[in-house]
Amino acid sequence: MKTSSTTAPHHNSGISLARLFQTSEAVRGYTLLSPTLLALLLGLAMPLAVLFTLSFWIQDYLDFIRTFSLKNYIDFFQKPIYGKILIKSIRMSGLVTLATVLLAYPMAYFIAFRIQHNKLIWLILITVPFWTSYLLRVFAWKLMLGYNGVINSGLKTLGFISEPLEFLLYNPAAVMITLAHAWAAFAILPIYVSLEKIDRSLLEAARDLGENAFITFVRVTLPLSLPGVIAASLLVFIPTVGDYVTPSLVGGPSGIMIGNIIQSMFGKALNWPLGAAISVISMLTVALMISLFLWGTQSFRRKVA
Amino acid sequence: MQKDQIIEELATGRMSRRQFNQKLIALGATMVTIPLGSKMANAGSDDHPTVFTWEGWEVPELHQPYIGKHGQSPNFAIFGDEEEAFAKMRAGFKVDLTQPCSYKVPIWKDAGILQPMDPSRLSNWSDIIPALKTIPGTFDGDKQYFIPTDWGLTSVLYRADLAPEYVGNETWGMLWDPKYKGRLSMSDSLIDGVMVAAIYIGAKDPFNMTDAEMEKTRASLKEQLPLMRYYWTSPADIEQALASGELVAASAWNSSYAALKKEGLDVRYTSPKEGAMTWVCGFCLMTDHDPAKLDKIYEYVDAYASVESGVFALTEYGYGHGNMKAFAQVEKDQPGLLKELGYSTNVNETLDAGIFQAPMGNEPALQAMFEEVKAGL
Repeated sequence: MKTSSTTAPHHNSGISLARLFQTSEAVRGYTLLSPTLLALLLGLAMPLAVLFTLSFWIQDYLDFIRTFSLKNYIDFFQKPIYGKILIKSIRMSGLVTLATVLLAYPMAYFIAFRIQHNKLIWLILITVPFWTSYLLRVFAWKLMLGYNGVINSGLKTLGFISEPLEFLLYNPAAVMITLAHAWAAFAILPIYVSLEKIDRSLLEAARDLGENAFITFVRVTLPLSLPGVIAASLLVFIPTVGDYVTPSLVGGPSGIMIGNIIQSMFGKALNWPLGAAISVISMLTVALMISLFLWGTQSFRRKVA
Repeated sequence: MQKDQIIEELATGRMSRRQFNQKLIALGATMVTIPLGSKMANAGSDDHPTVFTWEGWEVPELHQPYIGKHGQSPNFAIFGDEEEAFAKMRAGFKVDLTQPCSYKVPIWKDAGILQPMDPSRLSNWSDIIPALKTIPGTFDGDKQYFIPTDWGLTSVLYRADLAPEYVGNETWGMLWDPKYKGRLSMSDSLIDGVMVAAIYIGAKDPFNMTDAEMEKTRASLKEQLPLMRYYWTSPADIEQALASGELVAASAWNSSYAALKKEGLDVRYTSPKEGAMTWVCGFCLMTDHDPAKLDKIYEYVDAYASVESGVFALTEYGYGHGNMKAFAQVEKDQPGLLKELGYSTNVNETLDAGIFQAPMGNEPALQAMFEEVKAGL
């Protein structure tokens, strides 16, 4: 009795696993996926779960009170500072995204439609400034906008100003200029890819049917390149909302963003649970903004095309 | 050359996807193995302790006797401020020795990461300034958690040529002068920033304020915010800005004064009438230090506390040193330098004149207040 009860199921499960692997497409799929899936679970899902759990605890001097509590979320909505800075960050990132996409689109358009040979070289040339470290690019803007920086000393030499302009650096505008430049490559490439894919005969057809160049662009090129524009917007918007290096280097007191607040919660303020709660809320807010954005572009596409 | 060949193939589109991927794999493998090589080269220092300290405090001149004995320096890891260091160490970053300032010792002790040290193992212990050995919170009965090695001031550093009216009339109020709107800066920290405001409003005990004093401090910080160019996080921020004239005055440490003075600028390091702040930093032994390296750990601390290290700290950085004999040595070698750096030849006189930085009561509330002020609330 004893032997049969222990060996039989083992034998059975061996067979059924092998059979399952052969017959079920899903099992084969997941097995193939498993290294990536495991990496995603360990590297993405688990930290998120930890962050989420942490946000319901309370900091007590050096320890956590590990009982479920909504205190951090209540704090977030009761104290005006967090909401105000989150809204400011979203507004700033929105403007950065708009500026980046508006600047990137013509560049991508030029490469996709006007360049006939060596497109790869052009693409590499455009990405060359982005081979340097992100931090260096931020510092480069500090040199450009600084008190004795390139712009100020240039204007001074030309005699337009006698005293350096102080409003160039250490404010939200400086943060937005720096971010828009630093993330440009992430906008140019997806837009270029979607423009490149457009069937040129569609454009010829539109012109043959009597549309002018502008209407052809609005009704054919733009809707067809919208997936690239959407991808570019998301690639720029999502990371810039939470950025904290740029605001802390060029932002000054008025340029701080939600990332700086979160960083201070995990560092100086020593309140990890509140930091976790602010992170969760800003993630949810970003997700909401993106849903709104996708819904908006979708309806634009339906209306125009 | 192969490089040209690759570019040629890329440009003309003759390279197949498979060939391109092969090149990418080769590149990736090279990148991954590069750090291995340098790590192997460092393997020799595995039997030396790791010291977690401030930038600039790891230079060989500050521990020559250690190098003399072992032929090399210990390993170093650098932190920007103590909060960053604390977060890292609590998250499991393993070091043997660290060098915080005295007011952080109680909370680090409470977190269980520090272990008492045995001063009798240090030959220079008897030369350490006695006033620094008995800072509240750094010892527990006869258990010494802190070996004081460095000290200095937090005070206003200003350009006397740009703000001549303050010469002879020095006050923390310079950092609140609307005349210099947008050309002032203060440290982005509680101890060197918010506490300055607390001293400025005349709090009885800046480090343990009453609620009324807290509100007054908040109001003064709000008043100051529009006058600030930025809150500085690294001394380099203010040194460059003061040199160019972007800033007129800033809260600063002695090292910034020494650096700008060397450049020949007309800067003054003030003795504000409300009192400058005195900070003291020193060594703490980690609970999870490597016991096999304990001898070397004490040798390093002793080397750092030596007279020659003290002379270097004073003459190069303008910082005070724990070893009182260093002051006499500097006065003998370069008469007048001490006075120029803002120290009295009688060390205790300088220490008595300042306000000793102490652990701050209700730090989370102070931090929250500071964040709110900076956010314009």
